[in-house]
Amino acid sequence: MPTLSFLNPAFLWALPAAALPILIHLLSRRRIPEIPFPTTQFLRALEPREIRRLRLREILLLILRTLALLIFVLAFARPTVTPRGAVTHAAAAVGILLDDSESMAALDDHARPRVEGAIARALAIVDAARAGDELYLARATRPGEAETGRARDRVRLKRTLQGIEAQPLPARLEGSLRPLRLALQRSALKERELYVVSDLQRAGVTPEARHEIAEAARNGIRVILLPVTEGRTPNHAILAVDPIIRPGPEGRGLEMRVRLANDADGPSDRLALRVRRGDALVGGGDAALRAGETRWVSMPLETGAVAGTEIPVIVESDVDALPTDDRWYAVLGAPRHLRVLRIAEPRSGEPPPRYAELALDPGGKGTSGFVVETTGPGALLGLNRTRADVVLLDDVASLSADAESRLKRYVHEGGGLVVALGPHSDPDYYTRGLFPGIIDLTLAQPERAAEGSSFELRARLPGHPVLEGLAVGVGSPLSQARLSGVMRGRATSPRAEVVVQTTGGLPLVVAAPSVAVFLSSLADDWGELPYSGAFVPLVRGLVAYAARAPAGAAGTEPRVGERPFARLDAAPSGAVIARGPGGYTSPAAMENEGMGFRAVSDAPAAQAGFYTFEAGGRRLATVAVNPDPVESDLDVVPADSLAADPPGPTGARILAIPTRAALETRLSDTRRGRELWLPFLLVAASVLIAEILLGSSRILAR
Amino acid sequence: MSQERTRLLDPHFVSKLARLDLKARLVVEGFLTGLHRSPYHGFSVEFAEHRQYMPGDPLRHLDWKVLAKSDRKYLKQYEEETNLRSSLLIDTSASMGYGSRGLTKLDYARQLAAALAYLMLTQNDAVGMFAFASGRGEQIPARSTMGHLRPLLLLLERLTPGGGTDFAASLHSLAERLTRRGLVVILSDLLDDPDRIAQAIHHFRHRKHEVLVFHILDPLEVSFDFEREAVYVDLESGERITTRPQELRGDYRERVREWRERMRQFCVEKRADYVPLTTDQPYDRALLEYLSKRARLL
Repeated sequence: MPTLSFLNPAFLWALPAAALPILIHLLSRRRIPEIPFPTTQFLRALEPREIRRLRLREILLLILRTLALLIFVLAFARPTVTPRGAVTHAAAAVGILLDDSESMAALDDHARPRVEGAIARALAIVDAARAGDELYLARATRPGEAETGRARDRVRLKRTLQGIEAQPLPARLEGSLRPLRLALQRSALKERELYVVSDLQRAGVTPEARHEIAEAARNGIRVILLPVTEGRTPNHAILAVDPIIRPGPEGRGLEMRVRLANDADGPSDRLALRVRRGDALVGGGDAALRAGETRWVSMPLETGAVAGTEIPVIVESDVDALPTDDRWYAVLGAPRHLRVLRIAEPRSGEPPPRYAELALDPGGKGTSGFVVETTGPGALLGLNRTRADVVLLDDVASLSADAESRLKRYVHEGGGLVVALGPHSDPDYYTRGLFPGIIDLTLAQPERAAEGSSFELRARLPGHPVLEGLAVGVGSPLSQARLSGVMRGRATSPRAEVVVQTTGGLPLVVAAPSVAVFLSSLADDWGELPYSGAFVPLVRGLVAYAARAPAGAAGTEPRVGERPFARLDAAPSGAVIARGPGGYTSPAAMENEGMGFRAVSDAPAAQAGFYTFEAGGRRLATVAVNPDPVESDLDVVPADSLAADPPGPTGARILAIPTRAALETRLSDTRRGRELWLPFLLVAASVLIAEILLGSSRILAR
Repeated sequence: MSQERTRLLDPHFVSKLARLDLKARLVVEGFLTGLHRSPYHGFSVEFAEHRQYMPGDPLRHLDWKVLAKSDRKYLKQYEEETNLRSSLLIDTSASMGYGSRGLTKLDYARQLAAALAYLMLTQNDAVGMFAFASGRGEQIPARSTMGHLRPLLLLLERLTPGGGTDFAASLHSLAERLTRRGLVVILSDLLDDPDRIAQAIHHFRHRKHEVLVFHILDPLEVSFDFEREAVYVDLESGERITTRPQELRGDYRERVREWRERMRQFCVEKRADYVPLTTDQPYDRALLEYLSKRARLL
């Protein structure tokens, strides 16, 4: 049952004022003057008829005046009605999950970060809390800290909220929701509410996060989703920078590559890119991307400005919705060639075909940017990253267990791997032996084209780095060349991308981080591909992709929020100290990586920038720390889709409140009750108007 | 002169004069000054002498016999002698003491009665006076000498309002006492049962009296232009009625109008003259009515 209460009950002391009209009426009656009159016979004749009318009118007027005053006083007392299910009359445990992730730095229509709107909502929730309520605060970038955010002290909690800024970290909604949910479940209070203040970015709303929300509702916690935005906000982002400086086109000059994404439903404007080394501009370029396109963009560098072995540069693009992903820190390596260790086996005493080798380094002098060493599988036993950047398995039947183990370790340490299959390759070995753990791909027996037919190569992901040297669109053929056979394969997870396929949909090029697999032959065993114009760019694309993929892949370079680390060839003598922006200083521990060492700082990096590792006053390495660009796509999950999740038979409802005004209305309704002062004032005014009309008109007066 | 006359007929102006005889004289003279054709010059029944006819003299007094004998035109002139006995009946009940603007109905009636008496005596009419209220009354028998004016005025000076009005009973009593027929002039607010008043007037008429009724009311009594809610106390019965004038005014006025109209109808039916007056009206109307009545009678 709805109940009525008052927010300013002190005004109720003024209720006796409603009796004023009655008092005035009585007093005025006592003070009615006496007028001697010759005769009252005419009045007397009128009175019986009039008196009833007058008394009725008088009583009505008196009632109206009293009522008007009564309602007026009540309006000042701010009457509220509490709807059913509200928590007005009971203390409540209120949990607030505030999303302060990277995407919350995106600017809204008023050029203010989304997090400000989120904080305003959270403050409104805190303001609406009453004494006796338990308040819990969790932040999406600090999973597991809900307990420490608990505060009964509203002032302290508000101060905490006001100090929150968007962090260059991805949201870990599930990690923050869980302790918050558990804290609410543990509360002795029966009324429990969980407010999720977030942009509900698609990258953050993981199935686990959905599960936590549904779980909270199932446990009787009223979940209120407060999305601070809706729809996809167009945004472009720098996703990665290839740390390897390459020779420019035709061996002239130097260039670097930046991976850009246009997370929008329409094409991007032409983006200007700048490369700075300190304050000096050392390179730049521009690019225009199609809707939803992600690709590598090459930019020329000034040769003299990037001399050295570790060149810290900052790549910047035009600032748009999310400023944090419009800057990227990178430590570029010295200009060098990609070292490719090609593993090939002799065939019937004949040396293996050299098509791939010639495609990478036709002159044998490394002028194309690739240096190729061809050897047998045994060389893999001594493989490390100092020897090769990429390993190319060229129609190798299988590897020994040791060689396989060494190769996998090499890949995990950041090395690149290109697997070109062929008639000699054992699909079972690759499926069960080499591929598990490095690429989600299964192979079956080779399929040969029927007599008179052939397989055509068609691009499936035209913007993929593997196809960087080929101007192709979706579904367009890579070459006029035809294949007579392919190895049947199937990508078993989204992490393995089919980049090129046959006309019939058989995968031909499958890419995973650090690994690219060509499911046909790079020799002329299964067709005339080596003689086509697409062969050289395809082979180079495969190798370049495998070599470059580690840049940006998870775990291969430090991110904000993680502990910075640097690979060292040798263990330094003395303690290692890591220094970074914002006065960051932390000791670093040394870890043996087998083929080298890794210095790992003890404290996580709080912000993006360059971090240096020093020992005994000598700089050992400089690493770039960037935010994880996972939240660059500012697409959101509609709150209604989450609210529509069924809570279960005993669960509470999941509400979605899209606007701040709606939230404040709900808070007012549920925590303070629905305020009725305005309707009361309107009724009082109406009663007064009725009184004036009745008083001035001849209604009941004649 | 006209302005002066107007002032002399204004009840409020006259009420400020000190002496009643002066008031009466001024009122009458002011009134007479304004008449174009005065019915004032009297013609009684006793022949006195002849006078040569002058153009403009009324032909009805021409002595036809002399004209026939001598072919000369003579008018007959008569010895002035009264044959009209007038009785002024003044209501002195408590309700007559009401006056909204400083002049009570009794004041008005007193001044009007004085003027009438003066006028009557100057015309050699016999004037008597009866002042009455419930349970009390004073009377002065009719005389026609000018010296009779003084006791009349003294009586008028003494009159004070008080007591209720059993008006009809008083009229009946007077009708019984007035044996010689004449003109009965009633000055009252007639606050009594209209039917009984009608019967009383009928009583006078039955005894061959001519009746002239001056119905005197206060303007506020007619308009009921009060503003505030008040307790209205009946001056005679003491009855108290609390009411809001603005709510009742319309009905009240209608009722008073109906009442006056009813009184007028009664008078017409009884062949009496009815003159409604309010205390803010000049006296000339009343005096003119009287003179008209007298002219009709003689």
